[in-house]
Amino acid sequence: MPIEIPKEKWTGKVRVVTLGATAAEGGTRTRVVTVGGQACMPFLHFEHPTPHPPVLAIEIKSRPPTDWSPILMETWGEAIRNPATWAAAAEAAGAEMFVLWLTLEDTPEEATQAVRAVLGASGLPLAVFGPGQAEKDNELLVAVAEAAKGERLLLGICEDKNYRTIVATALANGHLVSARSPMDVNLAKQLNILITDMGLPADRIIMDPTTGALGYGIEYGYSVMERLRLSALQGDSMTQFPMLVTVGFEAWKTKEAKVGEGVPASWGDWQQRAIDWEIGTAMTLIEAGADILVLRHPESVKRVKAAITELMTA
Amino acid sequence: MYIIGENIHIISEKVKEALANRDAEFFMDLAVRQVEAGAKAIDINLGPRKKDYAEVFPWIVQALESVVDVPLCIDTTNVEAMEAALQKITKAQPILNSTSAEPERLEKIPLLAKKYGAKMIALTMGSSGIPVEADARVEIAVGTIIPHLMEIDFPMENLIIDPLVLTTSGCQQYCPQLIEAVRMLKYAWDPPPMVSVGLSNVSNAVPTENRPLINRVYLAMLMGVGLEMMIANPFDQKQNEVIRWIESRDTSTPLARVYNKIAERIQEGEEPQPEDFDMNDPEQLAIWKTTQILLNKVIYADAYLTN
Repeated sequence: MPIEIPKEKWTGKVRVVTLGATAAEGGTRTRVVTVGGQACMPFLHFEHPTPHPPVLAIEIKSRPPTDWSPILMETWGEAIRNPATWAAAAEAAGAEMFVLWLTLEDTPEEATQAVRAVLGASGLPLAVFGPGQAEKDNELLVAVAEAAKGERLLLGICEDKNYRTIVATALANGHLVSARSPMDVNLAKQLNILITDMGLPADRIIMDPTTGALGYGIEYGYSVMERLRLSALQGDSMTQFPMLVTVGFEAWKTKEAKVGEGVPASWGDWQQRAIDWEIGTAMTLIEAGADILVLRHPESVKRVKAAITELMTA
Repeated sequence: MYIIGENIHIISEKVKEALANRDAEFFMDLAVRQVEAGAKAIDINLGPRKKDYAEVFPWIVQALESVVDVPLCIDTTNVEAMEAALQKITKAQPILNSTSAEPERLEKIPLLAKKYGAKMIALTMGSSGIPVEADARVEIAVGTIIPHLMEIDFPMENLIIDPLVLTTSGCQQYCPQLIEAVRMLKYAWDPPPMVSVGLSNVSNAVPTENRPLINRVYLAMLMGVGLEMMIANPFDQKQNEVIRWIESRDTSTPLARVYNKIAERIQEGEEPQPEDFDMNDPEQLAIWKTTQILLNKVIYADAYLTN
């Protein structure tokens, strides 16, 4: 008996956003990344083809992290010593772009230097995130934005406390912003309205709805992303932005990933579990509509990429 | 529309100050002006006053009864304070605001209302909070509150059910469900129970300048499902105009037509449609956008009118 598969007819679609600029576009990138364009919920190819699959970014830091899991430190080894070698290693590990996360200790000069080092070491597009304190973020990101004018960097963290400064510098220097809101659909939409009201073209906005790791509030993050995406498909232009999620940041601070001793034997091998936690978090959020996933472990990148390939051809 | 005037509320700085000074004139004036503006009853929300309720509640009752004849609505969580007020009331049949379906409150407050012959507002909220779905809220009324009242032989004509309005800013999914709860409650019992809501709750946490519009549009929707009583601000002239338009089916101006159309659509179980509005008129466009957030069609944002 023939079965007719029901199809949703959506009126809206997610905006297409391109990160990174090649020489022809005024930058120095040899590759760019394009996300968005979906006209249905994730991977429902029978409703609408998926124009751009989710993109995997690897997180690197401007200076060697002091609070990262030994599993990550061992895996990256010597590469972690400076952002340029780390970027090269991350590209070799399959990154499609980088998120360079600056720290509270960085001066604007050091931040700029780190950005230049990464841009010099690889032709992949780059996101630069401040440490997450509004004032410090402003100080570092304005310097970075000016130094990398025209590169179409993704600048974060752009939130309600500091969006004016970050958006102004993105506007002046040809960059994009990553608009972060605290796991709340109303606030996510509000921030998008405020940013576009400042005159930043909508195709230069990525939204970061904030999420939790598997077992640590991921269901809230999932619901928020799903709701935002459904709203985008229903035609609400202020939710039609691709979404970025900081998977590695969330997953590697869970007990399951962080603690190797004094846990039940049934939890199994520590390294395996930690990586699985990052992958489980990533795969869940991909189904919620994530477009850019920021990961930390090369093995996670490899396996999530394989899963995306399968989802794209399924 | 039976408006219970909401303006004597401890959340207001002026009320707080007047209470601290035992400024009876302030409260008398505020009560008189609310009645003159059309309030049919006066809500008194001064908080629980755990320490001085025995002095404060009789004092305010006496002050207000010296200038108005309308029912006083005793709005507090403190049961002793309710009784202190009830003992002092000599004029109109008072209203107790409120009980819920939580066992402890449901045990005490209806008995108190019965003893003093007061009307009583019952919130459709159980021990586990406020359910989202309309039928779950109706079930609290029909499955818990009403059976309990029948057991104690409570006069049903004194029951007012409040299915609880929540804000569109953060609890958006509750907004359309509340409309359906009001609709269903009208069929829940014979004769239908009185239903009242706290209208301005729908715009809690919304920037002040946007609140009246959200309140008005929601009011039109609720009038469509038969709302006849609410705790609201009687001084809101535009709100009172909407009430008059819908009650008298006045469609003599474009705005009056739009509000009537909203009530009519909701009454029919339909949604307002773009063709009901002249989108070139900024005022009507704003009303249309407001219907969309209240029906949870479009995600609310503080700047929803600008986008």
